[in-house]
Amino acid sequence: MNRIVRLLAATSAWVAVTGCGGDGGGSRGGDDEFRVALLTSGPVSDAGWYAGAYDGLMMVRDSMRARVSHQQTRTPAEFDEAFRAYGTDGYDLVFAHGFEYQDAAERAAEQFPDMTIVVSGGGRVRDNLVPLIFRLEEASYLAGMMAGGMSESGIVGMVGGVEIPPAQGTFRAFEAGAWAIDPDIEVLEAFIGNWDDVGAAKEAAVAQLRRGADVLIHNTDAASFGVFQAVREAVEAGDRAWAIGMNRDQNNIAAEVTLGSAVIKIPQAFLEAARAWETGGLRGAPLYPGSGDGVIEFVVNPAVRRRLPPELLQRLTTASAEIRAGTRNVPRVPFVEGESVN
Amino acid sequence: MFEALAWVAFLEASVRLGVPLALAALGETITERSGVINIGLEGSIIAGALGGALGALATGSAGTGILLGGVAGMAVAGVFAALAIGLGTDQIITGTAVTLGGLGVTGAVYQARFGVTGTALSLPTLDRWSVPVLSDIPMLGSPLFDQPPTTYLVYALGPILWYWLFRTSWGLELRAAGEAPDAARAAGVRVLKVRAVAALFGGLLAGVAGAHLALAHTGTFAENMSAGRGFIAIAVVVLGRWHPGWVVVAAMFFGAASALQFLLQAFGLDVPYQLFLALPYVLTLAALAGWVGRATAPAALALPWPRRR
Repeated sequence: MNRIVRLLAATSAWVAVTGCGGDGGGSRGGDDEFRVALLTSGPVSDAGWYAGAYDGLMMVRDSMRARVSHQQTRTPAEFDEAFRAYGTDGYDLVFAHGFEYQDAAERAAEQFPDMTIVVSGGGRVRDNLVPLIFRLEEASYLAGMMAGGMSESGIVGMVGGVEIPPAQGTFRAFEAGAWAIDPDIEVLEAFIGNWDDVGAAKEAAVAQLRRGADVLIHNTDAASFGVFQAVREAVEAGDRAWAIGMNRDQNNIAAEVTLGSAVIKIPQAFLEAARAWETGGLRGAPLYPGSGDGVIEFVVNPAVRRRLPPELLQRLTTASAEIRAGTRNVPRVPFVEGESVN
Repeated sequence: MFEALAWVAFLEASVRLGVPLALAALGETITERSGVINIGLEGSIIAGALGGALGALATGSAGTGILLGGVAGMAVAGVFAALAIGLGTDQIITGTAVTLGGLGVTGAVYQARFGVTGTALSLPTLDRWSVPVLSDIPMLGSPLFDQPPTTYLVYALGPILWYWLFRTSWGLELRAAGEAPDAARAAGVRVLKVRAVAALFGGLLAGVAGAHLALAHTGTFAENMSAGRGFIAIAVVVLGRWHPGWVVVAAMFFGAASALQFLLQAFGLDVPYQLFLALPYVLTLAALAGWVGRATAPAALALPWPRRR
């Protein structure tokens, strides 16, 4: 009897952990094989942050003929387990896609010196532990300008998952962008305490819309669907409201009410990191892909472009060029200990 | 005027956030009253959300989706019942396995159907039903009586389940199975059957709760969107002292607590919102400790029956 339960528990846990991906490479090939793994702490079906990472893994597989594996890990204990499994199995490169991995990654980097770990949004550096810090605030700033230019109520809102540096960084930049257009604009901020709770994100968005906000941006994962839905319903009810996407091009999630998306081209960043690994260039220093590298971009939604004021679009284009040239200051929050910002 | 708007917004959000908790907790109340604790509730909720989403997409009808969501939730509870009641396995371990399995399997099905990197689904949603007269009450009317039908299901089930549980012989048999299964057996109650039906009923309501999340609240599905509501519902049952009426009140209280934190954030009040999230749990602990009325769990709760020798 107990054996049945244990078996069931083990099977279900495995299904939950791997998300039943079926994408795990066999990983028992020759020694010269390039083995790359991805760890996410949420489902890759979020059409955003994790989905982009999954696309990145697939791109590394296809472009560099790497053997790849993906695991979804929920708890810190599982983080350690996953790193250990990949380290023992001789993986060369592990992308740990989130700030939450950094403690476990540091332990694993010490334990497995031959494995390089890239932590997205991480803050610790070792020879084989490399933070990958997306300068998403550069696009988020432009999103803020867009919001500031499109708001009629003078109130815009941000719905975030958990208050960690990657979320704070994008929100500070969003505010700065909105204030660059209109110094009097009021910027609301809410955190829902996790990344997947669509219902909670929707309620947070509804509360901001009720408060008078008419442009909302998010920095969550799958929960973002709730923000888009709240905006869509407000528009259907006859109110004026817009949404802005984040992390991935989300312009088609609710195309009729979305102004644009602050996009990280995660696949491109992953591929560049993997290529750097190949040439030995991925060691001991953080990577900072930004709009200058073409990794970060604010993508205006083509479906609504003709409804946007041309002079606002012009200001965005100018600001974007200035950010790339380094002549416009976008606020940053520090990720890496001892890192100087601005 | 401004305060009135905020009040209505608060009440609406409380009801919206409370209804799925109330549905799941009402089902769990019946399950627990029969002596079975099903912490696989989360698995039933997420299965109900996906089942509801797929059903609504296939048929184009949110109402059908809700029914199919209930069936999906019941199927998950069926797995739990077969093991925990049929085979007498440990209820906590089995429930945990069912939750993990439910989250994993729904994720796999969703990715198989909508692509590994996901699609933001736009689902048919339940229309609101406006109750004549009642919905015109100022301040209270539209938040309470201009809602999707699943909300009225909660209002109806509170008193119905109370009557059924405490005023009918079936209710008595169910409670007997949960308090003193040996004595109930001696009195001719088919304890295992009663418990199995109670667990399936709990799964049905949890499935409806999940389908409500997808088809009445958010209009979409995402992996893990149940976000721990199954476990909160179990706390709601404790705070509601295993009494259907109080369980509805407790669920609305949990809903109000999370609605409050979103409103406070939207109104820019700089208080740590986590405090408001923690408040209902503090009350639940107080209830367990006997500070908020007397909360006594069914005597045979979580004990496999018949006892193995």
